[in-house]
Amino acid sequence: MNFLTAMTKVGIPRALLYYQYYPMWRTFFEELGVETVLSTPTTKAMVNSGCSRMVAETCLPVKVFCGHALSLVDKCDYMFIPAIRSMGKRAYNCSKFLGLPDMMKAVIPECPLILDMDIDVTNGKRTLYQNIYSLGRHFTWNPAKVKKAAEKAWECHLAYYQQMFSQGLTPTQAIDEIFSEKGVGVDQETANSSLTLTVAVVGHPYLIYDDYINHRLIHRLQTMGARVLTPEMVDEEVLDVAMTKLVGNPRWTYEVDVIGAGGYYLEVKVDGVIGVIAFGCGPDSVMMDMVYRKAKRLKAIPFMCLTLDEHTADAGLVTRLEAFLDMVKRRRREQTCV
Amino acid sequence: MRVGIPHAGNIYIPFRTLFRELGTELVVPPPNNQRALDLGVKYAPEGVCIPFKLTLGNLIEACELGADTVLQAGGFGICRLSYYAKTQKEILHDLGYDAEMLTFDVSQNKLRGILQLIKHVSDNAPWSKVIPAFRFGLAKVAAVDDIEKIVHKMRAVELEKGTANRIYREAITAIDEVADHGTLKRVVKDYSEKLYQISRNPDADSLKVGIVGEIFVVLDPFSNLDLEVELGKLGVEVKRAIFFSRWTKFSLFLNPLGVDEWKKVHEAAMPYLKRDVGGDGWESVGEKVFHAHQYDGIVHVAPFTCMPEVVAQNIMPSTKEDIPVLTLLCDEQTAKPGMLTRLEAFVDMLNFRRKRIGNLKPGVIK
Repeated sequence: MNFLTAMTKVGIPRALLYYQYYPMWRTFFEELGVETVLSTPTTKAMVNSGCSRMVAETCLPVKVFCGHALSLVDKCDYMFIPAIRSMGKRAYNCSKFLGLPDMMKAVIPECPLILDMDIDVTNGKRTLYQNIYSLGRHFTWNPAKVKKAAEKAWECHLAYYQQMFSQGLTPTQAIDEIFSEKGVGVDQETANSSLTLTVAVVGHPYLIYDDYINHRLIHRLQTMGARVLTPEMVDEEVLDVAMTKLVGNPRWTYEVDVIGAGGYYLEVKVDGVIGVIAFGCGPDSVMMDMVYRKAKRLKAIPFMCLTLDEHTADAGLVTRLEAFLDMVKRRRREQTCV
Repeated sequence: MRVGIPHAGNIYIPFRTLFRELGTELVVPPPNNQRALDLGVKYAPEGVCIPFKLTLGNLIEACELGADTVLQAGGFGICRLSYYAKTQKEILHDLGYDAEMLTFDVSQNKLRGILQLIKHVSDNAPWSKVIPAFRFGLAKVAAVDDIEKIVHKMRAVELEKGTANRIYREAITAIDEVADHGTLKRVVKDYSEKLYQISRNPDADSLKVGIVGEIFVVLDPFSNLDLEVELGKLGVEVKRAIFFSRWTKFSLFLNPLGVDEWKKVHEAAMPYLKRDVGGDGWESVGEKVFHAHQYDGIVHVAPFTCMPEVVAQNIMPSTKEDIPVLTLLCDEQTAKPGMLTRLEAFVDMLNFRRKRIGNLKPGVIK
């Protein structure tokens, strides 16, 4: 068993929940003496290969996930695709997250063994610990080692979120920082001091931070002279309050990122809010509508909803962004004149 | 209190009965029609599924007819259903209808929740009135479904196409009007006999096609474009497991006692889909596997962008148990000619397949 674990590789696709949990997962596996292989940032080839395998109606992020998984097929011995059902009381994840391991098994028959761990907080701590142990069991017989790895992973996860919040980093920057793949200096603030507009971008992390599928949205906004705010830059409790105010108790795990952040940014002083959703995404279709309605009622801050799919072209997106920012700028000028 | 309800197949019949027994005014919007759909499409979020749009259209029409309270299904779950009431309430409010939105929970404390809701809308009628009324409503659900099961068989073999459907419609009206248990039983018996007496094609050997998918589009003929009738015209016997009566029987009474009506289906799905993905996705995969040797083919109906059914749709082609599956997605863009062409081609293919591998016997098909 030992010589096996020495060279075991676990593949982690750089998509969907990667942006929230990658540091935790990687720490866990490394503590168990397993190497993790991460797919490269999204490329056109990945999107195409993902689209060719999945049913056409599937939403873009899942197709992209499939592309990432496909790119890892030859590079690892196991693929880590957890089925995360619930991360909080009475709030569940979308069906596609739950069916993710089974879907990948179905559409990628050549896939290495999928580690499909069930995570359901509503089932109680005991079940969760058992599931973590049975995940670790693939690599070690020693429960103490698994426990230690899990604790380390949790610490790393907390540190990751702390870093994003306190230093205003995006998940991608924070991950780079933690594993110091590149030495990113936090020069964002100084670089941004000359920027005049503040635009909030709300939506799922896997849409906002995947530069390929959103056509470098954040970068584009920054070069157009806007300071960009994202959901991670606000304390989760503040977002929770904003969300509860708008819709009451959440039904889905990531409502905070969309409704919470949307509701929060519509009330604080920003110049515009951009909602990013994926075409065919079930929860987004109703959640973004809630934010849209709030924006319509408040009539205070311009709101735009961008729907992304695999056909979205650069030019169309740029035109819309430019028009939106022009409108925001003009509006601001008028307000200062009055 | 004037209560408006959305449509879903024949669900208005038990509701009408229940409210008549309790003396509360019920506003049943016009049966699902293009106008309701147009209204729904106009005011609903763009990417939402067809059940949302249709029920929204119904509720708007109910409000136009003067409903001051509207009912909608709700509850905690993975699927968008849990968001219907919240969003529709906002939309109705924005349209200027100040109707109170009441939800009946379909996922937790089902029986108690529904009974309490009935008590609430009937201005606190005594339990001695609520419970018999509720029981009579359930009896009607069962009666409608009993007739429907016979119709499924007869549509495929009738000599003069359309006869079974005509009797079915008469039966529905009759059941709707019945006022007591005794007459209900007699009506069901009469119409069953009438249906069985339809002259049949003596050498009809109808194909058996299972219908699986999302409960609303399976049960609502308007949104699935009369799928069952069209299959009947092509000489196909429709088999389905989804019925309102089955749902009420199990999720209201037997599931809390630990009886799971889908147990075998879930077990069949296990090798391909290990967990419940919300809605009816797990059951769709399971039914394909479970009935692979019993049916000639399966028609899988789902609303466009339905999350659980997309999971099922991705998994279904990979199962070892082989049976032709036709997936039909329903939304406001679906047109009948397109669907008919696909159905005809599918049924032709099933006929060829049957000829090729001999008559269907369990275990014959590999």
